[in-house]
Amino acid sequence: MPADRWDFTTAAHLLNRAGFGGVPMEIGRLAVMSPAQAVSWLVDYERIPDNTTNPAWAQPDPERAERLRAARNASPEERRKLVQEMQKNQREQIVELRAWWLQRMACGPRPLQEKMTLFWHGHFATSAEKVRDAYLMWRQNDLFRRLGTGNWLELLVAVAKDPAMLIWLDQAQSRKEHPNENFAREVMELFTLGEGHYTEKDVTEAARALTGWSYDRLDEDFTERPMWHDRGEKTIFGQTGYFDGQDFLELLVARPQAARFISAKLWNFFAGTPPSPELTDALAATFREAGNQFKTLLRTMFLSQEFYAPSIIRNQVKSPVQWLVGSVRMLERPLPPPLVCTGLTRNLGQDLFAPPNVKGWDGGLSWITTNTLLARYNEAATLLQGDVAPVAGGALANRPNANRQFVRRMAQLRIGAVDAGKLFTEKQRESVDALLPALERRLLQAQFKPEQEKVLRDYLGGQPELTDSAILNAIRLAMSTPEYQLT
Amino acid sequence: MRDEITLQTRREFLRHTVLGGALSWTVPTFLANTFSALQAEAADQATQTTTGRDGTILVVLQMAGGNDGINTVVPYADDHYHRARPRIGLAEAKVLKLNGEVGLHPALTGFKELYDSGRLAIVQGAGYPNPNRSHFRSTEIWQTASDSTRFERYGWLGRYFDNACSGSDPTVGVCIGHQMPQAFTARQPTGVSLDNPQNYRFMAGGSSRPGQSGNMEESFRKLNQPEEDANSGATIGALSGPVRHTGSALDFLERTALDAQVSSDKIRSIAGSVQNAATHPGSQLGNSLKLVAKLIGGSLPTRIFYVSQGGYDTHTNQINTQERLLKDLGDSVSAFVEDMRAQGNLPRVLLMTFSEFGRRVAENANGGTDHGAAAPMFVIGEKVKSGLLGQYPSLAPSDLFQGDLKFSVDFRSVYAAVLESWLKTKSEPILGRKFAPLQIV
Repeated sequence: MPADRWDFTTAAHLLNRAGFGGVPMEIGRLAVMSPAQAVSWLVDYERIPDNTTNPAWAQPDPERAERLRAARNASPEERRKLVQEMQKNQREQIVELRAWWLQRMACGPRPLQEKMTLFWHGHFATSAEKVRDAYLMWRQNDLFRRLGTGNWLELLVAVAKDPAMLIWLDQAQSRKEHPNENFAREVMELFTLGEGHYTEKDVTEAARALTGWSYDRLDEDFTERPMWHDRGEKTIFGQTGYFDGQDFLELLVARPQAARFISAKLWNFFAGTPPSPELTDALAATFREAGNQFKTLLRTMFLSQEFYAPSIIRNQVKSPVQWLVGSVRMLERPLPPPLVCTGLTRNLGQDLFAPPNVKGWDGGLSWITTNTLLARYNEAATLLQGDVAPVAGGALANRPNANRQFVRRMAQLRIGAVDAGKLFTEKQRESVDALLPALERRLLQAQFKPEQEKVLRDYLGGQPELTDSAILNAIRLAMSTPEYQLT
Repeated sequence: MRDEITLQTRREFLRHTVLGGALSWTVPTFLANTFSALQAEAADQATQTTTGRDGTILVVLQMAGGNDGINTVVPYADDHYHRARPRIGLAEAKVLKLNGEVGLHPALTGFKELYDSGRLAIVQGAGYPNPNRSHFRSTEIWQTASDSTRFERYGWLGRYFDNACSGSDPTVGVCIGHQMPQAFTARQPTGVSLDNPQNYRFMAGGSSRPGQSGNMEESFRKLNQPEEDANSGATIGALSGPVRHTGSALDFLERTALDAQVSSDKIRSIAGSVQNAATHPGSQLGNSLKLVAKLIGGSLPTRIFYVSQGGYDTHTNQINTQERLLKDLGDSVSAFVEDMRAQGNLPRVLLMTFSEFGRRVAENANGGTDHGAAAPMFVIGEKVKSGLLGQYPSLAPSDLFQGDLKFSVDFRSVYAAVLESWLKTKSEPILGRKFAPLQIV
């Protein structure tokens, strides 16, 4: 990254991609640093204190054993009630968890740490729909946050032993008599190598190696069950030995393809377009030379010239989470209440902790349909004017009962509007000519096309004066454009 | 040479300014023909044409929660049935008999009439190998038509859109509901979902006062028009100009924004002007099918409609719940069929139901049933091979797998039939391999 290209635009690009964007002042603060300093501020985030507290329920439940026993001994009628109660609690906690995480993204001191946590959530896509335990979902989220920029093997082993993952891909039940191949397959196909880089035989043998890695429901923790483990010889990737789970994951990470695969996926996530084979090779080489440390790879990416190519800047569709968090930051408004956040992102096609399947969200252009685009346009009014009507539809299509409840609860919610006085100075509000560039700088960090600028100018010019409500309407219009959906 | 205009050409048509500024839907026939001729050579032969006035339509009806198929199509003459269900089993005298062995649930009078008039095919024992009892996973299997051991990224209808409707108008698939079903997931996102036509639009909010300058709605429209459309002075010569495909994300967004406006205008105009020709029940399903009937009547160029009805997860007190749901189902579908008949559109409409699984053969201790496996599907239309298709799976305890019915018809052979015989497209690229189509249509 040549220093002479480092300016407001490139700094904004870095903050948008490595984090969730920022207001002009925050971008300006990065722009006056050197590129290396700016990247270091994002990447070496341990230096920044983080005092966020965890949700109260984010710990093992001391009464769990007692509760499970009570449920076992209860009459069928009582048990049904207990189960219903527990599931209701879980659903509410997931809504809370979603808001807790979004709050970290919107206001936390370490944007890249949260962005990487989001990357890993999409990569190791695990859904609460099956895991049905908010504590375990929080725990996996915390794991991504703790190990997300560390070592590849360490992360992979921790994920393989993560309770939510053990449940999600059925590893918890896998025993030597009938090994479950679900995790063994997906860890190669989706997490480390990609299709075509392993054989069916590798899958069955890896599944044998992994037997015995399981989940203890009482302790709510990983457990190794020696009686379930297949002690026989296995042949994986042409190598033969008495492999266990750890051995298998070490073999996996040692494959050159494992470095290529994850480097390319990370580039695609941050740059918004798949890397060329040459770039993939270069990134993978950097990654391997650094001992498979993600931090080095990230630093290299964010300092590369390729990352700031004109075809990369402002050519990525914002994910729904990026759209929401970025908009909240840009509008300097508080995050809406948890239920509204769930509705907002669900309508746009990204329900955190409930990815559509083990492959995660497709991302990119697939975020955009006629529906989700109109939903983005209308949800802008929720954020700007506090109108929750566009969100009320965000319930699960398959659960009409839950739908009604959701809509009823939404109808009772009121969220505040944006304070236009915060966004622009008195001087900027003096005239349309002064306001428009400030608006572009805040919303796009780029210029609208002349035709569009004219529409905004005409709209504002048609207002008797530049009141708060006229300004919020103009922002609403600017957010209701194809351009605003890009970052 | 074709004399109708394909969806792809319709959109290019709009993008290429002849009607741009007005965002009008109707294309004058002489222009359509001219355009067709100009584009004939370039036309993608795989793309299905849809005018909204001919061509077949599929309505998929999801019964979410896992409907108890055994109390829906009842093997009333089977002793195993009554032994397994001493409390919730339906007596012979109550069921609507189809033959000497099976009958419909008493609440399904609507379906019985359809059956008697030769418009209802019942596929018995539909399911798949290695059944999964999780709602989440089994729904996914039905929606993606995958093997239970594999994960498919795209839905089976999404793959139909990708394979047979590329470049189509987004309303080629319409889901009535808040969310797009997984079945619609496609490489090229296609389809529209709406619970209420009034919500499927840019909502300008209270500050919009039509007719005044500074009108939000008007500004919004201008902001979301790709540049070509702003130029209303173009002539017909522009039709043969090169198509701009920069492939950028912005280009894609601009096209989608135009599609959104056009389909929103069209759907709301139809919903506001077309009258239903039958009385539909006031339930959620009834209202969904009522809207579908309007959209068909108004010639929306749609091949696939998707509606759903929930609540079938009857672990407790099944009798009352299922009776209410099935009555709603039978009545809503009959009203829809009546509406289609009155419109004259019945010959080109096929409705197919599915549920993620049936339920355990034996009732549980709470007067309900737990998650099971195979269950019947219903296929309804004027051109179906009416009657009972496939084998009713045996209820003999020794024939069950972990207490569940074994499937006799792979649901994908039903999908294959619908794709091949009804939507007239090859099923293999969509379903991933060849499934012998069941003779339904």
